Parts: sequence; C-alpha cells; structure tokens
Amino acid sequence: MKHHYLVLSILFLLSFGAYSQNADSILNTLITPERNQPVPSTFKSTHLVLLNTNETQKKNDLAFWIGHRFGDIGGQFGGAKTLFGLDLAPDIYIGFDYGVTDKLTLGIGRGKFDATYNFLAKYRLIQQKENSAPFSLTLFGQSAIVSRAAFNTTEFPKQRDRMSHYLSGIFASKVNSSLSILVSPSVLLRSKTTEANDPKSLFSVGFGGRLKLYKRFSLIADYTLVEGLGRPTDLGTQFYNPLGAGIEIETGGHIFSLNFQNSPYIIENNFIANTQKSWTNGGVRWGFAVSRNFSLFQKKNKNKDIETKIY
Amino acid sequence: MILLKRINSIWLCCFSVGLFFNSQLLAQTSFSSKEIKVNIFSSTPLEDIKAQSLTAVSVIIPKSKQVVFQIPIKSLTFSLSLMQEHFNESYMESDKFPTASFKGNIVDDIDFDKDGVYNVNVKGVLNMHGITKERTIKGVITITNGKPSINSNFNVACVDHQIKIPSVVFKKIAEVIAVTVSGNYQ
Repeated sequence: MKHHYLVLSILFLLSFGAYSQNADSILNTLITPERNQPVPSTFKSTHLVLLNTNETQKKNDLAFWIGHRFGDIGGQFGGAKTLFGLDLAPDIYIGFDYGVTDKLTLGIGRGKFDATYNFLAKYRLIQQKENSAPFSLTLFGQSAIVSRAAFNTTEFPKQRDRMSHYLSGIFASKVNSSLSILVSPSVLLRSKTTEANDPKSLFSVGFGGRLKLYKRFSLIADYTLVEGLGRPTDLGTQFYNPLGAGIEIETGGHIFSLNFQNSPYIIENNFIANTQKSWTNGGVRWGFAVSRNFSLFQKKNKNKDIETKIY
Repeated sequence: MILLKRINSIWLCCFSVGLFFNSQLLAQTSFSSKEIKVNIFSSTPLEDIKAQSLTAVSVIIPKSKQVVFQIPIKSLTFSLSLMQEHFNESYMESDKFPTASFKGNIVDDIDFDKDGVYNVNVKGVLNMHGITKERTIKGVITITNGKPSINSNFNVACVDHQIKIPSVVFKKIAEVIAVTVSGNYQ
C-alpha cells in the first residue's frame, strides 16, 4: 500500500517537472538537424589571378570582368622609361559571363592580344557539400579565335588555324571559411604550332588558392605547370610557367584584384602557350581585374515579402 | 502500526495536494511552432531589401511565461541570390553564427486559457551575429480556441550586434533593420 503511494507520488513529482521543463530543451527537439548543405562561394570572382575559378554565375546573373596586364616592370622592356611597365598594355580583356542556369554559364570576351575573341562554357558538375562532397568540379571549355590580320601568308594558311580550344576540369575546395584551393588539369588544343616538336595538344595543370585575411580582403595566387609537363623544354623559344599572385578586395557587388604575374596575356588559350616572360629577369608585371555582377531579368517577384527594389 | 498509518496518511495528503496541482495539467504546458515567419526589411533611398524565412522555431511556456525563438540565418531567402550570399558571408557570418535567437519572459499578465488579444512586452536577450543584447520587445499574442498566435515588429540596429556595413555600400543598407515575427502555435 505504502509502495503504491510512493510510486504515485513520484509520478506526480515528475509531472511537476513538466511545468518547469525548459523552453530551450523543447526548442531543441523542434530543430531539425542541419541538412547536407552546399558550401557556397569557394571563390568570389570568375578568375583567380590568371586561371578561371570553378565559380559559375547564378541563374540570370551577368558577370562583367575586365582584366588588364601592364608591361614588364624590369629588364630590357621595363624600368623607368616605361614607368615600370605602366606605359604598356600587352593585353586588355573585357568579358561577360552569363548564368543560363545555376549550373551552366556561357561567356564571351575579347582580348587585345592578337585581337582574340573567345567563347566559353562552364558547367558545375559537382557542388561541394558539407557532408557528402569534399570538393566542387566545374567543367570549363573555352574556344578562342585570333582575329588580327596574319603577319605573313604562312601564319594562318587556313581559317581554322586561328582557333584554339581549352578544356579543363576545375577541382576546387573551400577547405575552411578562409582557405580555398583549386587544381585544374587541362588540355589546350591548338591548330598550329610554330615549332614542330611543340605539341598541338598541350597538357597543363593549374594550381591556385585564396587565403582570406579579412572578411573582404584576400591573398590570391595561381601557378600553371606546363613547361616540362606537356611541353618539351628544349624548344627554340624559351617559355615559362605562368605564376600570378595578388590581393583581392570584395566590396559587395564589385571584386577588385591587384596582382603581379609573369604572363602578359589574360585568357588561358594565350597565356598557357605563350608565356615567354619570367619572374626572375624583370618579366613580372602589374595587373588588375575588376568584376561586377548584374542581376538580369528580374521577374516581377510573386512573393512581395522578398522583393528587392533598387531605385 | 499507528506510525505506519500516520505515514500512510501523510502520503495520502501529498497525493491529494499533487492531484490538486496536477489538475492544472489539463491546460497545455507548452506551445510550439516550427513555422514562424520572420521578415526583415532594410530601407534606404537607394534600395529596399526584403528577406523572409518561414522556418523559425519558437516555444512558449504559459506557466513560466517563457518565450523563445530561434531562426537559422541561412533560411532567410532573398530575391537576389548574390545578395543572399553576401548577407550570409559578409554581414551575418552565418558559418560562424548559424542562428539568431530571442529568449525572454512575458512581463505583462496573460491568461493562456482565455481567448483574447493580449498586448505584451517580452523582456529577454536577443542573440544575433554572436552578440547578445538585452531587449524588451513589444508584441501581440492572440489566443484563439486555446492556441496562441503571435505578431511582433521591432528594430535591430546593425551596430548593436557588430554587423559592419562597409562605407561603399553604406547608402544601400539601412543602419536599422525592421524585423517582423509572426506565427501560429500548436
């Protein structure tokens, strides 16, 4: 009998517990555990220093990217007479990348060097996710056509000799919120090479990274291994592996990059094959890039609650 | 034997008292919602920015008049995805501070057993961007058929929670963000 009372009383005391049950603990039972969320913005811009990043544009977003390379800081072509290269502009690039879908970006651009027009496509095949995918993979293809007049009749015997195609798989990983890295094995298909033992299919591997120092300020660098990998080192012309390093400043909408590199050229089709300058003999140069995003075709938002008006 | 009876009667007494208080158990001990709507609104002469989440969670304990809210920052949806990315990455730093919360107690009298509209002040702590701030937030609790629903408008000053707005976008993002919280509880 006594035991029954005891048990009942304990039950009652427990039921009192329900009154004092903490709101926090009830709240915690309501929260569904974090799903396997995608890891966004491995990089901020379409480009690192020289290399393209894995970033595709969001649907209906248009990225406007301007790149500029100055002349040699030192050496035979640099120094005070060209104001350390600032008088020269071996390559200037203006390009637009448009997000057809969140995964597919198509772009068009034009570079000053060789009056090159290029068409590019980027497809985000793998998106890095918190639990399942440790890296992203974007397939990148870029065709370039030299539009300047031929220097001589043997330079472009056929129209298609002006074309080159660059195919790359850009593996990228946001290691943590401050460090992102990329590796991009690629092949450059050229229609014609000046030297017979310079392969038309030029293999290369690009390495790059971004280290965020502050929320909007990062160090960026990339290096492309091509000489000695896809290409013999005993060619008549001395080529060098492109290496670029700089800083990137993000201001919400604009991304500015100020950098140094040994390649005077901007698009992969040109700089992978044609970098004849080296960091060691004054061939390094200033460069900068500005990128700006525009959101096009803003649908009249059905949901007034998230409508954004720009006056 | 007498002693044993006395003990028995003491237990019986406890039992009765327990029964009396327990009768209150008939009233619901807690109300909760997983579908609290949170709207944020930033207005400047250059841009009006709105975002919304429909998945904030909240619990009300009538007895203690305790009220808690929690919202996953990443659940706030913007019409421009780049804007949403900046919001998460540069302003709220949602990787570091994934949620915002408010935990408080209703200061005013409210009878959860009686249907009606109650204007209440809730005194508590607002935690956002990892910075806590004591706040008393006004709201309306409406009780219909024994179930509460809430509606509250309040402002959050970015500077209070160390949310830094760089000077280049200063004119596009308001210094004070208007927040609306509403929802029905079960």
